Amino acid sequence: MIYFLFGIFFLGLFLMNISCAKVNPKKLSSELLPLEGNPLVSFRILIKVGSANDPVDKEGLCQLAFSMLSNGGSKTMTFKEISKKFYPMDASVSLSVDKEMSVFSGTIHIDNLEKYYAILKEMLLNPGFREDDFNRLKTNQLNFLEKTLASNMDEQFGKEILGLMMYEGHPFGCHGAGTVETLKSLTLDDVKAFYKEHYVQGNIIIGLTGGYPPDFPSKVAEDFSSLPEGFTPRLKLPEQRKPEGLEIVIAEKQTPATAISMGFPLPITKASDDFFALWIAGSHFGEHRQHVSSLFQKIREERGQNYGDYAYIEHFVQGRDKFPAPNYSRQQQYFSIWIRPLANSNRHFVIRQTLRELKKLVEEGISRERFEMVRTYLLNYTKLYAQTLSERIGWQMDSHYYGYKDFLAETQNRLSKLTQEDVNRAIKKYLNFNNISIAIITEDAESLKDALVANTPSPISYANPNMPKRILEEDLVIQTFPIDVKPKKVRIALASDFFQKKGIPTK
Amino acid sequence: MPKFTALILSFFLILFIPQLVQSSKIFPYDYKIEELENGLKVISIPLPNPNIISYYTIVRSGSRNEIEPGKSGFAHFFEHIMFKGTKKVPREAYDAFLTKLGAGTNGYTTDDYTCYFVVFAGRENLETVVETEADRFINLYYDEEMIKTEAPVIEGEYYSSVSSPERRLSELLRDTAFEKHSYKHTTLGYLKDILDMPNQFEYSQLYKKRFYAPDNSILLVVGDFDHNQLMEYVKKYYSSWEKSNYTLQTPEESAQTQAKRAHYDFPTKTLARITIGFHGPSYSDEKIDKPALNLLAEIAFSPSSPLYQRLVIEEQKCLSLSANFSDHRDPYLLIFSSIIKKDEDLPYVENEIFKELERLKNEPVSEEILSDVKSNLKYSLANELGTTDGVAGALAFYISLATDPETLNKLFDLYEKVTAADIQEMEKKYFQKTNSTVVTFTGGKAK
Repeated sequence: MIYFLFGIFFLGLFLMNISCAKVNPKKLSSELLPLEGNPLVSFRILIKVGSANDPVDKEGLCQLAFSMLSNGGSKTMTFKEISKKFYPMDASVSLSVDKEMSVFSGTIHIDNLEKYYAILKEMLLNPGFREDDFNRLKTNQLNFLEKTLASNMDEQFGKEILGLMMYEGHPFGCHGAGTVETLKSLTLDDVKAFYKEHYVQGNIIIGLTGGYPPDFPSKVAEDFSSLPEGFTPRLKLPEQRKPEGLEIVIAEKQTPATAISMGFPLPITKASDDFFALWIAGSHFGEHRQHVSSLFQKIREERGQNYGDYAYIEHFVQGRDKFPAPNYSRQQQYFSIWIRPLANSNRHFVIRQTLRELKKLVEEGISRERFEMVRTYLLNYTKLYAQTLSERIGWQMDSHYYGYKDFLAETQNRLSKLTQEDVNRAIKKYLNFNNISIAIITEDAESLKDALVANTPSPISYANPNMPKRILEEDLVIQTFPIDVKPKKVRIALASDFFQKKGIPTK
Repeated sequence: MPKFTALILSFFLILFIPQLVQSSKIFPYDYKIEELENGLKVISIPLPNPNIISYYTIVRSGSRNEIEPGKSGFAHFFEHIMFKGTKKVPREAYDAFLTKLGAGTNGYTTDDYTCYFVVFAGRENLETVVETEADRFINLYYDEEMIKTEAPVIEGEYYSSVSSPERRLSELLRDTAFEKHSYKHTTLGYLKDILDMPNQFEYSQLYKKRFYAPDNSILLVVGDFDHNQLMEYVKKYYSSWEKSNYTLQTPEESAQTQAKRAHYDFPTKTLARITIGFHGPSYSDEKIDKPALNLLAEIAFSPSSPLYQRLVIEEQKCLSLSANFSDHRDPYLLIFSSIIKKDEDLPYVENEIFKELERLKNEPVSEEILSDVKSNLKYSLANELGTTDGVAGALAFYISLATDPETLNKLFDLYEKVTAADIQEMEKKYFQKTNSTVVTFTGGKAK
């Protein structure tokens, strides 16, 4: 049995190496991870273009164009017919569009591989581009911008405002769905033109894993080779703008709770040697939805202010459970903090507390004890990242994007060699507490602005009359912790005005 | 060489799943069930390949158990309290333990049960996990001040979804449809009860005594371990857990005799919504009613159904249309929901849903459609069982209902037996207008 498994393993490595030996940028490439005997097969068809490739004034086009493939009919079948065929197989095609890459994905039982692939192939290689599909998908995308994002999902809304702030005037500076104005102007011809320009062999990586037959990858490759040769040059991104001081945008709406996101661009990505040291710092400060985080401990556990408080050293999209979803790789990344909604009465205090904690992190670094603990944590936790087939092949693709053979394997290697000093050096080098973009969704924005600018004391009260003395003493410091907010650096806009046009609206 | 070692490690995380779709039983894994003298049931599913262990503790208490007025949301609140530690392993030490383990860990609360999971790598860690988890469930320690500090976190959790129309819709549907049963409130609870949680220290002790007991709990362990070794640890660390012997009497809901309605104006702009609930039966792996209704939900409202195709794809009136007949321990609701693109189409969509339910009373579904739905359910389960944690997660739900993984096989056996006539019979039995509650929802004009 062992020999058999090793055989499969080496075959996997062999095929992976073959697939990595891409020489012609105009031609298709593939990422394979065969797992003989597994009854499932996962596809991840990655296109090396994303919303940052949208032409100026046609923002939202990439998402609309690719959703015409994943949620529209092919030339041979209407979407209605596809839905009916997919249903008995429990099949689907999912689409994710990020700034620089987009992915079509699906997992199918081996019983249905042939039937599923025959339809998938038509959807992705022979799209129908029907007017009724276009109208349906464009309306859905518009409804998301007009009636959902800014009104029904404040946590996500806060993160999106932060994105607009950090990337004003940058190709990353628009939501992937576009704006109401640009989306309304898009036509079916725009969609076809985008597809024609970017849906070419050199932009496509075919990711396949699971128990597919040995000849299946070559069959898929042959089919996709019918696409024109060519590629879209990787975007030459301008240097990221650093915030000057505390730059604040307040989106005003009627709400009992305040949502807060803050951050600033980082000059490094996973490809950098320093990434691993900064990763430990980020995990220590705010690991996503884990008790390990110091911010979580301070704001939620000690004071019960909200449901959770996290920090990230790169763009983070939650995938299965609480793990990061793969295939959101970017050339440029950012540091961010996510404060989940809290009572309006405590908003000023928590903004102060967050900035104070960040200041402490930058000035004091991480203790040896915490360094050891968080490193051990990451060494073990990352073993859980790639459990599903789709995650496995997704991480393999990301590994190669950032220049690793296997990023998760490299993690074991790199983290083990780090020292506390490496981490504290990375913190000093990359993090700061003075130049930050802060996005706030709340009501009565003017009074918050006034309080921030005037550094008005912001005491809070607790249901517990016997809060530990240590916390109450620290609260006295936090409630008057000075933060330098210049009036001209605070912009207020109505929540409902966001995403109508490009940029940050004005009230 | 470290790279190579880790590559092998990550390779073995992939679970080799048996060919369950061809298997005579839908749940394809061998499992063992043992019960300690104190009533703690242990379900173990050792799997040969992965390096991962999913360790689930299922307490068969959820918002269904919140039968006293003013206690809505308490099961969920107590889930938070369960992370406060013990005298032996205080909260900070428990957090440090999980941190070093690098475990994926959390808890969640549903209507019928509360589940705690620790997903970790390495069978060498199993004994420590069993010991620490047993200590937490047997010797949980917290004081009144900890309750007062944790309670506002629930308020924060309430705020996390305060802008979500779905939560408000669900609150309103339950509150309108139920008169007596504790399914009347959501798992999160009424805001007034959440705000009173800081004062509930005494009740929390009573709640713990009643429900956090071995005779109301199940251990489910899936992954890379040896069953005998597991049982040795479980007996060693869980045997001192004392039985509760408490029997819960949930209030019985009287039959609904008149159609009900409610409407809500959401303060900010949002798409219109409708949700329609009919009182249905409880979960059963013996009676045909609920399995037949589950198939009906798919036949009438899945993306391949005629109504979905017409309203969502052809007429494009709706963004979504779905049916959710989730299985519950007590009789719950059969729910239909739709997000509608224009407010003025609300009455039309409502009418179309009722018309479709009437049509299905008179027109038997074809064998082909029935077969497609059965096929979909099988392959859907096959996808879900693709990882150790997928197995544990899927099974946690079913064993919370019936305490035995065999229930999944029995349920799918019943699916196979459901006929078009059964479905028609269920249509007539449950989908009477007098048994319905309609909740509509439109976006407000506020900024």
